Amino acid sequence: MSWNVHLRVDPGSGVPVYRQLMNQIRYYVSSGAIATGDQLPSIRDLARGLGVNPTTVVKAYSELENEGFLDRQQGRGVFIADQARTQSSADFDRALRDSARQLVVEATQLGIDVERVVNLVRLEYQRAGKDATRDRGHQHV
Amino acid sequence: MYEPVIEARGLSKDFGQGAVLDGLDLTVAQGSFYGLLGRNGAGKTTLLRLLMGLQTPNAGEALILGKTIITAGESHRARVAYVSQNQTLHPQLSAEELAEYVAHFYPKWDAAYAHRLAGRLEVPWTQRWSELSGGQQRKVGLLLALAARPEVLLLDEPAAGLDPVARRELLEELIDLLLEGDGCTVLFSTHILSDLERPADTIGVLAEGRMLLSQPTEVLQSQARRVQAVFPGDVPDDLMLAGAWRSHRDGRVYQAILGLESDDQLAPLRKAGATVDVFPMDLEELFIELVGKRSLSTDQV
Repeated sequence: MSWNVHLRVDPGSGVPVYRQLMNQIRYYVSSGAIATGDQLPSIRDLARGLGVNPTTVVKAYSELENEGFLDRQQGRGVFIADQARTQSSADFDRALRDSARQLVVEATQLGIDVERVVNLVRLEYQRAGKDATRDRGHQHV
Repeated sequence: MYEPVIEARGLSKDFGQGAVLDGLDLTVAQGSFYGLLGRNGAGKTTLLRLLMGLQTPNAGEALILGKTIITAGESHRARVAYVSQNQTLHPQLSAEELAEYVAHFYPKWDAAYAHRLAGRLEVPWTQRWSELSGGQQRKVGLLLALAARPEVLLLDEPAAGLDPVARRELLEELIDLLLEGDGCTVLFSTHILSDLERPADTIGVLAEGRMLLSQPTEVLQSQARRVQAVFPGDVPDDLMLAGAWRSHRDGRVYQAILGLESDDQLAPLRKAGATVDVFPMDLEELFIELVGKRSLSTDQV
């Protein structure tokens, strides 16, 4: 299957655009929206479609390839690798570990206990969940 | 030997009413899409004109592909294309005739590409330049620059006067240009930040005659932060935050704009018992904070 789900980038979010792309591709794999063997858009198509610098796409693809998540086949294109699904949850943990550590540092300094932190996270989840379901309703083509 | 494609060293220009450029240094690497940001009147146009040899600096030097463009030969100049802000082309000639004429100066002129661009950018091909709208005239200039297949492309506010659809098409053409074999180097000036946030790999802010900041876009996106610290009492007098570009104190509240590489930079705030909040900033906020506040404080002096 060639890949036609929606990717979007928000340059003002504080996260580099290539990382946003990596996270969204990981998300789609872990959610089952795309699977092993699916083809990703070419660098040119994705760069043009998002209006981003091609090197940004190259960087996202290369890093995912290094992690064994993507498979670049000379002359054919970029595909989701065999082991991508099993890797994705470990990758998610790794991607969030820094933020979690940061959260804990700040929480301890502010004297907030773990229950309250978890509650705060849960609240943010609910808020994001509402936005996310609204966004994703029309994404799977 | 590594050489930057575009380089300015200690560049100064004064038109008699104070320095427009004041010892400016700039380096643009090969294959880069460099976004040059600045307010109106910041000196962006002057910088590009000095690079193109259309004006001579009072001090310093401006090099493209290692040479001063004005003394370099014709073949060197043909590797560089420039679209000025208020470009005037021969009013009686059509885009087609202009393309035929300009082709003589550029050995790598790509007539087929010029034709394709005319279609994609919706440029009337046979109508006289003087009969075109402002936006269409602008597109003719861009078409001529792109079809010259330059190694270096200098664009002065290229998107000004273009509607959103045309801006997008221009952006897509520039992206294609970046993808091509040799990797064209683009220097793009604008005061419209959203034109740069996605395509530019490096962003420079020109203010008060110098580059206030010149950083990979990725670094700005991942590190530019607004930090707010509220202290139990007054903000300590000797408070210094590493990496702060701007800071402001008012009673118990301290705010700073900084490149946050590590949490250690915030340690002085936390040690003093402050409640610290860190907010991401988009380029627009960063630009306004850097350039706006700076000029305010200068006015007060």
